[in-house]
Amino acid sequence: MRLHFALNGEEIACDAEPDALLIDVIRDLGLTGTKEGCAVGVCGACTVLVREVPVCSCLYLAAMAEGAPVWTVEGIAKRDPALVECFVEREGMQCGICTPGQVVSAFALGLEHDSATEEEIRGFMSGNLCRCTGYVTITEAVRSYLDHR
Amino acid sequence: MTTAEFVKPGTLDEALAAMTRPGSMLLGGGTSIGILLKNRLIEPQTLVWVGALPELSGIGIDGDGTIRIGAAATLRELARSELLAGAVPVLPDAAGRIGNPRVRAVATLGGALVHGDPRQDLPPVLLALRAQVDIAAGSGTRTAGLDGFYHGFMEVALGEDELITGVAVPARTAWRDRYSRFTPGSEDDFPTVGVAVSLRVGDAGLVEDAEIALGGVDSRPILAAEAAHSLIGTEGGGAALEEAARVAAAHCEPGDDARGSADYKRKMVGVWVRRTVAACLSG
Ligand SMILES: Cc1cc2nc3c(=O)[nH]c(=O)nc-3n(C[C@H](O)[C@H](O)[C@H](O)COP(=O)(O)OP(=O)(O)OC[C@H]3O[C@@H](n4cnc5c(N)ncnc54)[C@H](O)[C@@H]3O)c2cc1C
Repeated sequence: MRLHFALNGEEIACDAEPDALLIDVIRDLGLTGTKEGCAVGVCGACTVLVREVPVCSCLYLAAMAEGAPVWTVEGIAKRDPALVECFVEREGMQCGICTPGQVVSAFALGLEHDSATEEEIRGFMSGNLCRCTGYVTITEAVRSYLDHR
Repeated sequence: MTTAEFVKPGTLDEALAAMTRPGSMLLGGGTSIGILLKNRLIEPQTLVWVGALPELSGIGIDGDGTIRIGAAATLRELARSELLAGAVPVLPDAAGRIGNPRVRAVATLGGALVHGDPRQDLPPVLLALRAQVDIAAGSGTRTAGLDGFYHGFMEVALGEDELITGVAVPARTAWRDRYSRFTPGSEDDFPTVGVAVSLRVGDAGLVEDAEIALGGVDSRPILAAEAAHSLIGTEGGGAALEEAARVAAAHCEPGDDARGSADYKRKMVGVWVRRTVAACLSG
């Protein structure tokens, strides 16, 4: 089927199977920042925004995004470069595999809740799993990003 | 994958018409279906997406206090609904603790009810609330109690031509409702044991009516009617509470799995029935 959506702010059209998952469509378009980790919606590495809300692109049917704005880590890094800076400055990463998902979720939190408390940050980012950092530096990076906005 | 067609109906009638195509399957948010599709546990020919259907959306309250929630409402909408927080706080509380924020943003109430995994959180909560399910088919509509909806593991009493349009929860006047999800591993796990308790408490402090529903401890979510009954006419503590906990634990048939042995789950049913009833009565 023919799909149309606004990927990172740009109107695109592409062909996809009716049951294609959004992650595969995005990656086939060359945007490989979005990672498939667990493939069952648990780890958060594949997080993207659809209609400005974070979703697991590994479970999200691409056809459900027809006509919608979709943002991946590549677009978000351009939409708000300060966010990536905060992750770099605070060293909110080690191996990096979870980082795209962390960045997208942090951005989504910023869209709705600038003054989130640490507990609210941890709640919103829960399920963006990181097996390296222990979350302290990630939470600090998000805090510093929210303060920055 | 074998799916030949994705249909996005604009109206309920269009959705019902699309469901008559061979091999059709309803799609809410796809958080369960996505996994089943990937593993080829299902091979629908047509996916009918009802997750964005306006007639299935919205959360409202009738003049008599009946709470109505559309089947396409997401768990995130439930969790954040001020109307629900006021009218039936146990629902947003339970919905807001399911899975993770990304799943809640997409998963729908309809999907949460029909998926039929006995470990899910909303079915026991809605069972204890005596929720009614509104169902539409090409031939007309019907309303059914959620009690009787769950037949077995991932088996629900819904015809192939039927879809859920919404859920109605009776007014909560004088009722107190609580839900406990016990996750000894990680908070984002499915619960080892889920216990929903609804009590109607009279002015004299006596329990006049009661429901206890359990998740994760049988092939389907279940009502522990006898256990609930043992609380009626009492203050809900002491020997009556011990009896309710004992009867509930004896009533369920848990299995061994990664979330605990059958024996452990049975014991935890007793513990969490006690705690949840006590929490209900304390405020
Ligand atoms: C990572 C992860 C963690 C989870 N953790 C939990 C948890 O802790 N607790 C918990 O309770 N659940 C949990 N879940 C399960 C989650 O609740 C369900 O996946 C979700 O509610 C299903 O909703 P959906 O709209 O995505 O359904 P879909 O996947 O779209 O559909 C599920 C089923 O419902 C049917 N259906 C959908 N809408 C309707 C309708 N209106 N009428 C009739 N049939 C319909 C579909 O045909 C399908 O059979 C988790 C899921 C994931 C992926």
